[in-house]
Amino acid sequence: MREITLSKAVNEALAEEMRRDPTVLILGEDVAEAGTPFKVMSGLVEEFGTERVIDTPISEPGFVGMAVGAAMTGARPVVDLMFGDFLFLIMDQLCNQAAKTHYMSGGKLNVPMVLRTNLGATRRSAAQHSQSLQALVAHIPGLKVAMPSSAYEAKGLMKTAIRDNNPVVIFEDKLMYQDKAPVPEEEFLIPFGEAHVKREGSDITLIATSSMVQVAEGVADLLETEGVSVEVIDPRTIVPLDEDTLLKSVRKTSLAIVIDEGHQSYGVTAEIASRLNEKSFYHLDAPVQRMGAMDVPVPFSPALEDVTVPTVETVAQTARKLIAREMFDAA
Amino acid sequence: MPAKSKTPSNTESYLQMYRQMVRIRAFEDQANKLYLSAKMPGLTHMYSGEEAVAVGICEALTNEDRITSTHRGHGHCVAKGADFKAMFCELLGKEEGYCRGKGGSMHIADQSHGNLGANAIVGGSMGIATGSALRAKLQGSDDVTVCFFGDGATAQGLMYEVMNMAALWKLPVIYACENNGYSEYTKTEEIAAGSITARAEAFGIEAFKVDGQDVLAVNDLSQSLVARCRKGEGPFFIELETYRYHGHHVGDINREYYRSKEEETDWKTNRDPITRFRATLLEQGIVTEEQVEAINAEIAQDAADAVAYALEAPYPDVSEVDMHVYAA
Amino acid sequence: MPHDVTMPQLGMAQDAGTIVSWLKDEGAEVAEGDLLFEVETDKATLEVEALASGFLTNIAATVGEEVAVGAVIARISETAADTEDAAPGQASPAPVEAPAEKPAGTHVAMPQLGMAQDAGLLVAWHKRPGDAVSADDILFEVETDKSTMEVEAGIDGFLAATFAHAGENVLVGETVAIISSTSPSEPFASAVTESVSGAVPKTAPEEPSADAVASPAAPPITQAQAPVTPQPPRARASQNGRILASPKLRRLAAAENLDLALLADAGHLHPYHTRDLETLRRLSLEAAQETTPSVATASVHLVAETAVDGSHAIAEWAASTHGVSARRCLASLFAGALHEDAPFSVAVETRQGRETYLVSKASGFSQVVPSDEDPIWVLRDYRGSRLKTVALGAEAHPVVTLTDLPTSGGVRITLESAPNRITPSEALMLITTFADCIEEPLRHIL
Repeated sequence: MREITLSKAVNEALAEEMRRDPTVLILGEDVAEAGTPFKVMSGLVEEFGTERVIDTPISEPGFVGMAVGAAMTGARPVVDLMFGDFLFLIMDQLCNQAAKTHYMSGGKLNVPMVLRTNLGATRRSAAQHSQSLQALVAHIPGLKVAMPSSAYEAKGLMKTAIRDNNPVVIFEDKLMYQDKAPVPEEEFLIPFGEAHVKREGSDITLIATSSMVQVAEGVADLLETEGVSVEVIDPRTIVPLDEDTLLKSVRKTSLAIVIDEGHQSYGVTAEIASRLNEKSFYHLDAPVQRMGAMDVPVPFSPALEDVTVPTVETVAQTARKLIAREMFDAA
Repeated sequence: MPAKSKTPSNTESYLQMYRQMVRIRAFEDQANKLYLSAKMPGLTHMYSGEEAVAVGICEALTNEDRITSTHRGHGHCVAKGADFKAMFCELLGKEEGYCRGKGGSMHIADQSHGNLGANAIVGGSMGIATGSALRAKLQGSDDVTVCFFGDGATAQGLMYEVMNMAALWKLPVIYACENNGYSEYTKTEEIAAGSITARAEAFGIEAFKVDGQDVLAVNDLSQSLVARCRKGEGPFFIELETYRYHGHHVGDINREYYRSKEEETDWKTNRDPITRFRATLLEQGIVTEEQVEAINAEIAQDAADAVAYALEAPYPDVSEVDMHVYAA
Repeated sequence: MPHDVTMPQLGMAQDAGTIVSWLKDEGAEVAEGDLLFEVETDKATLEVEALASGFLTNIAATVGEEVAVGAVIARISETAADTEDAAPGQASPAPVEAPAEKPAGTHVAMPQLGMAQDAGLLVAWHKRPGDAVSADDILFEVETDKSTMEVEAGIDGFLAATFAHAGENVLVGETVAIISSTSPSEPFASAVTESVSGAVPKTAPEEPSADAVASPAAPPITQAQAPVTPQPPRARASQNGRILASPKLRRLAAAENLDLALLADAGHLHPYHTRDLETLRRLSLEAAQETTPSVATASVHLVAETAVDGSHAIAEWAASTHGVSARRCLASLFAGALHEDAPFSVAVETRQGRETYLVSKASGFSQVVPSDEDPIWVLRDYRGSRLKTVALGAEAHPVVTLTDLPTSGGVRITLESAPNRITPSEALMLITTFADCIEEPLRHIL
């Protein structure tokens, strides 16, 4: 199978959906000729014109609000939010307006829009351009949240998001745009709420999202050399969450670590670990472990930044401790 | 008041505007009673006094044209053609309400008449209205969107972001600023520097100021701006000088610390939009006293019947609580 | 149609208002929009308009009285003479129940003493029913979360009735006493109604007065409740204290009656995980051999017989309505016979094959799910075969075998197990209960 970059995969997904459905349009800062700073949208304006690939002023609440209005009245906007950190600017439009409109109107109004944004530290971008804020939006009923872990997922999930009748927030890992992965030439969709068992194993389950899936796979490779069989699962969407697949794996292995790049406290890892504890307590050999980013603003200095996120080494260390029964007094 | 010659078409449209204003007043009187008698859950914001604004504008719109509304939104909803029963049912949280009881007073949306919904965030709908206009332009549709908001919302940054884009892209949207003189419990002059219309003009948006108690003046201006929007000449901005008879909400009863009873009485006695228009209709011989009284009585009865209906109507089944979180 | 006049809702967090004055007299003609009465809330005083035209009748709230929002305080009637008493002047949410008729007189209400206070504790009465009182006499004492206050009678007269005992909480605005102008013929004291007292957390009086002791509303505190005794832990604690074992291993060990202390005694390190199960089984077997030298032959062997086999009908029903297989149905029946709350696994063997299910005592058919776990129990269904009796001796797992009874149409149930896996009393209980389940499965299911 051919291999393409994550950036190219998103670009293909957008182009295919825009060809298929004339109501799909793109709104955002420097999405047209510039093709976004990450060059994800290069070439789209040439094919679809400035009427459908719309450069906006630097007015995040304004263009997200307009996307909500356009979505409510028959368009399918894909909004590009240049950095995930800018979510804080658009909270009212996303969480009070987009997320609640379908419910508040008793099901009469839909908001079929996609908010593309990104996550991920270690790009030396410091505290306001490095956050992973998926927990923030996953907390709000009415929003769906997709977290692709490679080019393949990025394409399949984007196409599904555009066809979904709800507001969907997609977090791409900004460090992964140039990473290549096998992506079929023919059209495909990835359904929401279906986790992917990336690797089967019997001794311990690693549940990882987005950027952390690579880390989990690295851990699996490393521990395999030590005779440990690791199962790696990528939920792909955290809302909706495929609980069944996660529970099934944990019941089999009896040990689990949940890894996500958002801050660890009150985060995605906490939610998933809590559900595993609630629903598979009597199938566990040790408390489910959370591994997220440290609870500090992301620092600039590489010396500091690199220690704030889970790595192959830190996750492997936690996994070894679980297997060696060294977690019983971890609390 | 502009002198209008009495023509058959005017007769019908004038009577329609009169009826719609009386309907809003009747609705609000009943809603107020429901609140005072503790039969209505939550609270509500009365539109009484501002009827000429909603009616003057909405009578210039078609069903395909969209509006976005505010927390003080019953008037817009009625003016855009909503039904009393479904509205009262919504106010009381009943199954037959416009939103099956999930929205309530501050979130009534009436998709069938192009009402994209009231909004409980001050200024919260400005993006939605402008986005609706963007969609109309991109899809080659000739509908116009009117964004209703109050003077208080002019202090929100979102307004300037979306006016900028609407002006850049010549979107068919009309920003209708209902300046009722008070931003919640504070005089507008204490929260707004300079001129409100000048702010729109700074973006190159044509802005107008009109007497919001004069339904004909509001309607004439709206007709012309809506027609110009359809020709691609939008956006426009209107500041409508008006007055809210009640407090910020129904429970805001002790309000002399921010406005005097004399001022309220003056507006009610001398500038009431319904009383004024009624006088015009009589003066021009469009209706007789008896006909006006009959119209008033019929509408009052409609409102009372709708309240009685809504009070008896069933609540939604609790199984609906997690329905409509996500669309299929 | 007469129109009820109610206490209006005026503020965002207001639940009662005080009548300052009536601006129309009883029987007066009023028009819609006329000012009817004046109300005071914590925020403001307001004149309230009539919402209908007619005659003001049935005034039921006196000046100074605090009335709950929504309560009917008067009526606007078609005639001045309407005295139909369908509109009692009591706050609608919970009228105070006393003897059928209340004495005439001035109602004294529980005062509102704080901003966010909705009830007060009546600490003590300073007057008894029947006593003469003057306006500035202290009538009773009230305690709120903020302060204690003495409340004066406010009017000369006689204490005709009280509606709360010392030690009871009373909602703000509720009537606590009536002062009549003439000496009452039958003064009485009653308690706060159940509905009201139920809504307010009760605070026990520090020194119960005679009233409080007699109060029927105060439920006696029973000392006779059975003490809750904690279940003895299944696993004996090791000498060093608690045994640290994972939830999963604890569940599996409990189901097999294995003692986790054996691991500790053998020097294995805490905490114990599922992979210690095999070691634990071995240790358990060794321990049993030590205590019962003749283990090679000793085993549990019990046989029960039922009069009829009721399980076929239930299996057919389960298959047709729930799509549940006969094996799964049998696993569910067996689960009901076990005294084991935690989920455990049971393998059901027939001549056609074998399937393991995870079941628990309370599980219905739908909760019986296939499992990959090593079974704790084996259930062999040899009904319909020529096999009539079994005596195979103890195997690795306890085994229950079902065979047909030659003539009667009933079932023979045979239990075989190593003695360390089940106690005699558990074995007896299991075999008899399971026989009941097979004979009358409906009783088990319902």
